[in-house]
Amino acid sequence: MSHEEIRAFLFKALSRLNYDTSRMDDDTVFGPAGADVESLALAELAVRVEDEFGVVFDDEEAEMMAAMTVGELCATVAERLQPASTQGH
Amino acid sequence: MSGAAALMSGTSVCVTGMGLVTSVGTTAAGVMDAMCEGRSGVAATPPDHPLTGSLEVGGFAPPIDPDSVLPRSETVVVDRYVVMVMQAAEDALADAGVVVGRDVDPFRTAVVISSTGGLSTLEAQVLAREARGRPGVSPYMLPGMLPNMGACRIAIKYGIRGYSSAIATACAAGAHSIGEGARLLRDGVADVVVCGCGEAPFFPTLVDTFRNARALAHGWKAEPGAASRPFDRRHNGMVLAEGAGVFVLERAAHADGRGAAGYADVVGWAATNDAHHPLMPDPEGEGAAQCMRLALADAGIGPREIGYVNAHGTSTKLGDQAEALAIRKAFGGYSPPVSATKAVTGHMLGASGMAEAAVTVLALRRGLLPPTHNLDDPDPACELDHVRKGPRRAEITHALSNSFGFGGHNVSVVFGRPSTRLARQV
Repeated sequence: MSHEEIRAFLFKALSRLNYDTSRMDDDTVFGPAGADVESLALAELAVRVEDEFGVVFDDEEAEMMAAMTVGELCATVAERLQPASTQGH
Repeated sequence: MSGAAALMSGTSVCVTGMGLVTSVGTTAAGVMDAMCEGRSGVAATPPDHPLTGSLEVGGFAPPIDPDSVLPRSETVVVDRYVVMVMQAAEDALADAGVVVGRDVDPFRTAVVISSTGGLSTLEAQVLAREARGRPGVSPYMLPGMLPNMGACRIAIKYGIRGYSSAIATACAAGAHSIGEGARLLRDGVADVVVCGCGEAPFFPTLVDTFRNARALAHGWKAEPGAASRPFDRRHNGMVLAEGAGVFVLERAAHADGRGAAGYADVVGWAATNDAHHPLMPDPEGEGAAQCMRLALADAGIGPREIGYVNAHGTSTKLGDQAEALAIRKAFGGYSPPVSATKAVTGHMLGASGMAEAAVTVLALRRGLLPPTHNLDDPDPACELDHVRKGPRRAEITHALSNSFGFGGHNVSVVFGRPSTRLARQV
């Protein structure tokens, strides 16, 4: 799964949560410092990412998402996917 | 403090704004005119509706875009009851011309908005969980459907920071919100109260439980406008409807201070319980009769001073007959002129109390009593002075609105002429 594919999924999920993603990029922070995605929307985004990619965020990580950038979240997801992909082979 | 004492002490309670969402219009005048013209909002369930096949007829309110009343980020999961009551609140506050923070201290403003809750949203989430497991359930479910979320969303949108609550007394909840609002103003807890109710009952599980309880009108598919017929010999069940209503209540002295005109005063109210059955009214009507007596006592007036009663009148045989008996008992065998709004709106559950209070206010102010639509042949067991076949002209000083709910809840509210210096033209 490429970085771009993960980002495309995040933007699609945010659009479904009624957020305009046209001005978001890898450097956009999710929280008030950037896209200002509110806490329940972030919680829902985390659930959708977990469901789509089979990764798990613990509660503390989910709380930290507001401080992350789009690029950082994509990298975190990609990193967690790596061992799973290896195991698959 | 009683209504009579409130008047003496200068803390009388005035209605200064009204907003409605119903199948026959979005203003008090719209509902009143529909009654006077015999124009029903009840329609056959549209062919493309999810309830086609299970709901014969209903009172469908106009569609409202959730994004028009809430920020887009908050409309991902939000129940229609919240959307309708937000619209009614916007209209009521604009009608009153009151701006929280400019005209009234936010901490002296209260919000009492009731509902059965967004059960259709809960149903949808249960189905999503069934289909997709845990990831199917949205974290937005609770803010989208809890029964106090009308109060919450209105508080956030308008910056209302005083007393807030949501009352769960089923079909009495709208009238109950008016009563609680009046109490808050009389007791000096607030200067302005935004009160009301929203109900969105059109989803399969709720419709089916009403159907299985044999509570819905049936056999009217070809003639939907005739389905809701309170007190008529052919009444055979209620017509489910959706809607919302919000009033702005204000201490009359506060309204005078900002030069606002009042529609009518809330001069008395009361609540009792039948203590009889969870769903069925006491056929002897004693709880409802005592509720009306207590409301009159609260207003400090006698039965003969009531010139009009807007009945709960659900169009169920048991409910109509019990209410007719209760009215005769409360008024000492005499019947004031009576009519029922649900004949044109259908039964908007708790929100009905708001539309009916609005009609009661207009009847009082216009000196025009609206008739009960479809009351062609009164049920002999519902002997009352029915206003039917057309409106009746009558200059009256006081009028009473009844609301009764599952759970045995009874609420009666008495309205009188406005005590504000300025009176709203109606």
